[in-house]
Amino acid sequence: MPSWPAETKYISQPTLRVDAPPKVTGRARYSSDTQAEGWLYGMILRSKWPAAKILSVNLAPARQIPGIKAAVVVREGEFTVRFYGEEIAAVAGTTKQACLDALRAIEVKAEPRNDFAVNENEARKDDAPQVWQGKPNVAPGRVRERGNVDHAFGECAAVIEGFYTTPVQIHNPMETHGNTVSWTDDGVTAWASTQGITSVRDGLAGALQLDQSKVRVITDFMGGGFGAKFGAGVEGMLAARLSREAKAPVRLMLTRFDEALAVGNRPSSFQRIKMGALADGTLHAFEAENYGTAGIGAGGDSGGGGGGADIPMPYLYPVPNSRVKQSAVAVNAGSSRAFRAPGNPPASFGMESAMDDLAVKLGMDPLAFRLKNDSNEVRRQEYKIGAEKFGWKEKYLTPGSSPGPVKTGIGCAGAAWPAGGPSRTTQGEAQINPDGSIEFRLGVQDIGTGTKTVIAVVAAEMLGLKPEQITVKVGDTNYPPGPGSGGSTTCASISPTVYDICQRGLQQLQNQTGIADARGENWFAACKKLGVNPLAVHGTWIEGLSNRPAYGVQFAEVAVDTETGLVTVKKVVAVHDCGLIIDTLTLESQINGGVIMGMGYALYEERVMDDLSGVVLNPNFETYKLPGIADVPEIEIVLLNMPERGVIGIGEPATVPTAAAIGNAVANAIGVRVGSLPITPAKVLAALGKVPPVAQT
Amino acid sequence: MKAFEYATALSTDSARQLAADSGAYLAGGNDLLGLLKDYLIPGPNILVNIKSLPGLNQIERGEKNWIIGALVTIAEIEHDAGIAKVFPGLHDAAAEIASPQIRNVATVGGNLAQHSRCWYFRQRDVVCLKKGGDLCYAREGDNRDHCLFSGNDCISPVVSSLATSLAALEATAVVLHEGKETRLNMAEFYEKAWTEPNAHNSLAPGDLILRVEIPTGRTASAYLQVSDKHTFDWALVSCAAAANLIGGKLSQPRVALGSISPVPHQVEAANAFLDGKTLDSDTASQAADLILKGARPLAQNAYKLPMAHALIRRTLLKLKG
Repeated sequence: MPSWPAETKYISQPTLRVDAPPKVTGRARYSSDTQAEGWLYGMILRSKWPAAKILSVNLAPARQIPGIKAAVVVREGEFTVRFYGEEIAAVAGTTKQACLDALRAIEVKAEPRNDFAVNENEARKDDAPQVWQGKPNVAPGRVRERGNVDHAFGECAAVIEGFYTTPVQIHNPMETHGNTVSWTDDGVTAWASTQGITSVRDGLAGALQLDQSKVRVITDFMGGGFGAKFGAGVEGMLAARLSREAKAPVRLMLTRFDEALAVGNRPSSFQRIKMGALADGTLHAFEAENYGTAGIGAGGDSGGGGGGADIPMPYLYPVPNSRVKQSAVAVNAGSSRAFRAPGNPPASFGMESAMDDLAVKLGMDPLAFRLKNDSNEVRRQEYKIGAEKFGWKEKYLTPGSSPGPVKTGIGCAGAAWPAGGPSRTTQGEAQINPDGSIEFRLGVQDIGTGTKTVIAVVAAEMLGLKPEQITVKVGDTNYPPGPGSGGSTTCASISPTVYDICQRGLQQLQNQTGIADARGENWFAACKKLGVNPLAVHGTWIEGLSNRPAYGVQFAEVAVDTETGLVTVKKVVAVHDCGLIIDTLTLESQINGGVIMGMGYALYEERVMDDLSGVVLNPNFETYKLPGIADVPEIEIVLLNMPERGVIGIGEPATVPTAAAIGNAVANAIGVRVGSLPITPAKVLAALGKVPPVAQT
Repeated sequence: MKAFEYATALSTDSARQLAADSGAYLAGGNDLLGLLKDYLIPGPNILVNIKSLPGLNQIERGEKNWIIGALVTIAEIEHDAGIAKVFPGLHDAAAEIASPQIRNVATVGGNLAQHSRCWYFRQRDVVCLKKGGDLCYAREGDNRDHCLFSGNDCISPVVSSLATSLAALEATAVVLHEGKETRLNMAEFYEKAWTEPNAHNSLAPGDLILRVEIPTGRTASAYLQVSDKHTFDWALVSCAAAANLIGGKLSQPRVALGSISPVPHQVEAANAFLDGKTLDSDTASQAADLILKGARPLAQNAYKLPMAHALIRRTLLKLKG
């Protein structure tokens, strides 16, 4: 059985990411920077109606615009659009302005439907307009039941009922979705901003009816995806068709406006939870009904799975008697897609809020209540370590008892990410050159998390070299196939693969050169003995070096201005495990990012749809609010290194409990629950009973 | 955006002539370019670059008045030590505006003249009342950011933080209007927006803001706002106050609020009530009652009432230093 070295020089140490210099100097060329020879701009015409029958699309006026080289419709003949922003046509031209002019010149004949529903609570009504004609908006509920719930509530010493809601959240990676696609007689090359070069390749090949071997996908640098970038997307197919027509590469990157409409989101949740505990604090009965919307449907072009509206309930806690009913509500809005820990942040917010509410009712400390009910040993350990670091005991006050108008409060919450295991089909290769240089090639992609650095660190450790002596190439379907970067699987997939490549390389070096241990100081001598031909080594993921799942707990301290409603997060302590840590620096970056994203979910982010017009009201960073650096608190990260477990991913769990911990801290500060994310000043003031009722006009 | 001509004016007269009735002046461009890129306003057929106009980028420190040229940037106001000392309320308002990058190029004139931020107005595919449509979507729709007071069916509030602050300081905007310098206080500068849904201020086509004059008669001033976020976010409510404080008593007090009305919200009865009063929490609270009297909150913006009440109290008490 293979095992990681007991003593390490680079693994579990801080290593600067290997591509930091090109990134900070701007030399790194992201997918959106691609300038293929003779490239054209591509742009998409989107529906301005939330529901309409498109009767005809006349592209002729667009083609007349100087500089326009191609124009295509999404579908021939009549078709239906079901949400504001759905794709109708696309153009390619030599300038952005030519494309903008061309989009405005396209003549669309349409029968807009006035009956549509863009919000869950409208779409749920019996007489609501149907998003899919002939099909009710609310899918038949799924009920899961164990024990005897109705009887169990009677045995409880305390029972709470709460309504906890989370909004639709937009992925909004810094780099928008899009590709440059070149389609010639030789095949297709796509420079894609993607989390899955292989899934993009196969998607393009399928849609364009080409051999997979005729499609090459390249992703040198990409600016984030969070689960929404696994397929080529409608935009990728359109870019390919435009390229075919224009006989030139087409760069079709979406705008920030587009990102809010059609390339995925996290479904909303509306969780009605009833929960009871016995007098000693043991959870005993749980009943929940949850609905949420995945837009017109879940998983549109997700490729990465997930993205549905269901959430895991009662989440981390094994309640012996439980009944959970869930249903998805279709609305006239863009489809959801997998979004960093699909289902988990909303589940965490609902359940962990209910936990604190029940703890208060029982008169128990919320942390003690968790330790009573959470049987997971890793999390129990993390709670204890975190509580110490955070000063839980000293800081905890009875809810609402902090003095003055600006009240402080604390809260905590736990995480789980049950997926996150490795992709067992991961492969890779290395070329060892006679001069001792070595190049690793893996058909994985670095989505910004430090994948290249992980490869360099593992290789350096195994070969006795320095990370900067390792050349790493990823992001090309010409390399041996790697996993999609989603579900926190990448690190656990590639680390054992690199391990295997290194072991095989050392073995072959020994066979060919007779040097028994080519590592470290023997490396260059061994390589030199190869003669003129480099050594090519192929490796695969192997058993025993990676694992799942990961856990994690977070603590938050907030100050809430009870006169203005403003919430300030003062501090977050994040305690996380991910088995064997590869690089503490990139790991901490992942956790910082997860906490900040969770904080946005807690306080700022929300897609706002307008009932009357059916449009998205906040398709920009002015009104779709994200944390700025002034909003971000001190984040203290505590890492549990567990080499014996092997490598586990961290991307998802880091963002799971943040919103719940902040929500609980707010409730602890002001003594009442704000059960709806985001926790805005308006909602805080309302929860405090300070907002006067408004006479209906 | 639509095609337009571009010209650089070297004098106010030529700027005015170049702009004629359908041109737009380009200074910082933050607001204008956004409007053009989203096709939110008709025209303009010409952009007149006014950044080179002589004399409009000066701060003059007079005994009775400070004069701030229309091309002075928000960053210059923020970083001017004299302004921080003499008009701390103006400094604080400037420091809250947008981001450092925007403050570096945004100008006083542009800030005062900026268009509505209502998300229906800014939505490229919604034709709302302000854009010449029949309907204020916000009235029945999502009006969390909208007015507590309005004299017309449009409920898009004024969002200029400088206007709130300058109203409390009783400043005057000097505008080149039909060849003559016209003096408008902040109430007058915006009053057309109170009654006319299409207007966001009182300026006529071609009017050019030259400068702002701020009387030095009030030695204390303050500004506070609350936003959803801690920086780079619009105020949900903003409040400015200015007065003289002699022996703890207020004289010439003025309070103004932003983001709750199409105009800087000023209530003379409240100013009169405060005049001569000892500044304390009770007095401030009673003034807040007067200032917010008659508010007509909508389905989603009634939270602005307690928020504004708190801000009025805090801003007044901040006058004590």
